[in-house]
Amino acid sequence: MSNEESWFGRFVDTLPTKGWFKFLSKYVVTPYWLWKDPKPKLPGGPRVSSQPSDNVQRMMNLIMPLKDPSEIGKARAVMAIAQNVDEIFGGLDNVGTVHFARFVILGDKLCMISVYDGDFSNYIRDFIVTVGSVFDAIMAEIEGGSALIPTEQNVEAFIEWVHEHDLFQAPDFPTELFTLQDQAKGIGPDGPVHDLSTLPRNLVLQFHSNPDISLGGGYRAYPGFSAAQIREKLGVGW
Amino acid sequence: MSAEFDPNAIQGNIVRGYGIHHVRYLMLEVTDRKAAREFLVASLNGENPNVPIIQRETEWEENPEVCFNISLTFPGLQALGVSKKNLATFPIEFRDGMASRALKIGDFGDSAPTKWAPPFDEPDRIHLIASIYSDSEEHLDKVQTQVAEAFNILGTRDGRDLAKSKVVFGYVDSISQPKFKGIHDKSQNKNDELLDPLGTILLGYPTRMEGVYFGIPSPSELGFNGSFNAFRVLSQDASGFENFLTEAAEFLLKHPNLKDVLPPGGARQVGKGFSRKTALREIVAAQIVGRWRNGVPYELSPDTMEPDPKVSLTNFDYNRNSRCPVGAHMRRCNPRGGPIVQRVANLTRRIVRRGMSYGPDFDPKNPDDRERGLLGNFLGANLGAQFEAVMYDWLNLGLQHPDITGSNDPLLGANSVDTSWFDMTTRTGGKIRLHGLPRFVVCRGGAYTFLPSIAAINYLSQLKN
Repeated sequence: MSNEESWFGRFVDTLPTKGWFKFLSKYVVTPYWLWKDPKPKLPGGPRVSSQPSDNVQRMMNLIMPLKDPSEIGKARAVMAIAQNVDEIFGGLDNVGTVHFARFVILGDKLCMISVYDGDFSNYIRDFIVTVGSVFDAIMAEIEGGSALIPTEQNVEAFIEWVHEHDLFQAPDFPTELFTLQDQAKGIGPDGPVHDLSTLPRNLVLQFHSNPDISLGGGYRAYPGFSAAQIREKLGVGW
Repeated sequence: MSAEFDPNAIQGNIVRGYGIHHVRYLMLEVTDRKAAREFLVASLNGENPNVPIIQRETEWEENPEVCFNISLTFPGLQALGVSKKNLATFPIEFRDGMASRALKIGDFGDSAPTKWAPPFDEPDRIHLIASIYSDSEEHLDKVQTQVAEAFNILGTRDGRDLAKSKVVFGYVDSISQPKFKGIHDKSQNKNDELLDPLGTILLGYPTRMEGVYFGIPSPSELGFNGSFNAFRVLSQDASGFENFLTEAAEFLLKHPNLKDVLPPGGARQVGKGFSRKTALREIVAAQIVGRWRNGVPYELSPDTMEPDPKVSLTNFDYNRNSRCPVGAHMRRCNPRGGPIVQRVANLTRRIVRRGMSYGPDFDPKNPDDRERGLLGNFLGANLGAQFEAVMYDWLNLGLQHPDITGSNDPLLGANSVDTSWFDMTTRTGGKIRLHGLPRFVVCRGGAYTFLPSIAAINYLSQLKN
């Protein structure tokens, strides 16, 4: 990482490829720093912005651990969704603020990935109001899901659960990670200034609390438009 | 889970207003937990003449001389000793507190919590907000002195109703409020809107959303029959608003489609003795809010503020051809049964508003810039599903209708002169876009509070730790 054309600079640049250095980083340096500078889990989902165009087309990466990750358990999750697919699509349509949504089974997780407009809680709440029974069927297959059934009577708890299982979205501007990590520790914007060279370390440490993350807010082909605006322009009704 | 409603079980300032015209809010800190609990005990049993009695929700023939009520913030529940386990059962937005939710509800720029007036700049110290309603200054002072015996008073705010039920911007207000089955609110006698289910405002009852109950914090003694409030000190720039109306009228006078807003010779139809400029100012004012300043709904009377025969102030709905602009303040906050993007959300985000004005009267003929505004209470059973949902998605994003998405509420929104816009409707179904709306309403402070039931106040008073 050194730009200096000295022997020491060249030596430092070769370190990440050396086996002993990798071993040291993984088993000594990282645990030491995790002890010295632990990073609280960063909240999932998109962050609220004062800029209206940033508050539409937001990404949800809901990662739900399967109660039974065996082949049979996965098939049960598929069944829960397949039997309700009309309700799910109808429900998303009625919520009115959803651009896309899809389900993915990845390893031992069921993922619901969607793009929606506006407030996350409203999106989830309206979805429950429309098709609460569908979520009940899905949550029955999810680790920790039983406590939230029926979702219609556990609206707040369910929204919080979904928020906790929505992936942290690493900021599009890398240095914003400092701000988010400070916020999570209750340090305000007046806190100490961070040295840019510590950014890689802070990212490494964050992976301990947020092992799965979303890289940025994602690509948008048409930023700043709501689903209803696009539907109106296309003349398909909203 | 649903229960019979017992009016004696809740505080009296929740499901209806008192009809008293002066209020004093006390922002309180618990510095002596024991003293605070003893105060609560006495406020319920009335055995100590030096402690004001909590006013319950009971009908009375004559208004009492003074009504006293309390609400608690999340730090307040902590300060009174509610266990961690039970604290965790309160909804996240209440646990976070209003200052932490600032970005979501549009409190940035001049409204940012870092700029809030004391004592709101130290949100963790505000534990209770007590309200004293009385038309006698003497009573307000007396109760304040009594409260000071048990709590540290961090600050006070006095509010009053302005003449003719108007607010600082010159509109008649409080015309339409959610009404509840079985609750008789005299101020809403003429309101012929749909009744709202009690779960709109109290915890433990069915909501407008079929099958959906909002979570009741534990234990149920503490949570059941409770309600939440967003208390806000909102400064209102009356002279800025009047200036904008003048600018907008001058812009319209030069507009090629002026005749679609005000046909030649039409000024006197808008209001008695109006000049063209006055008529245009009032049309802009009416479209911005959705009501003429005398309270007549724009939807029912788009061409005149003095309809003959008279129209209902509350019985109307919006449709795809409404003359009331989609972006009008009142329509944004309460789209009624009109078309909205979130089809399932119609009528589900109702908020009970109880507010009084603060600061000096405003005289539009002799404008000044002294601070004045509204001490607003925005009540509901769920702050996230009601207050925040309206503030974020509807007021400041305009998500409910594609024609306003990306714009802020013209009156209350977090507008900035460079980017703001508002589409007026014309008589011919067209639109005229106004630009350059400044931010007329700035938040000077506030707090999310929990309005405990009588049983909950008793529970809090009996905590032992």
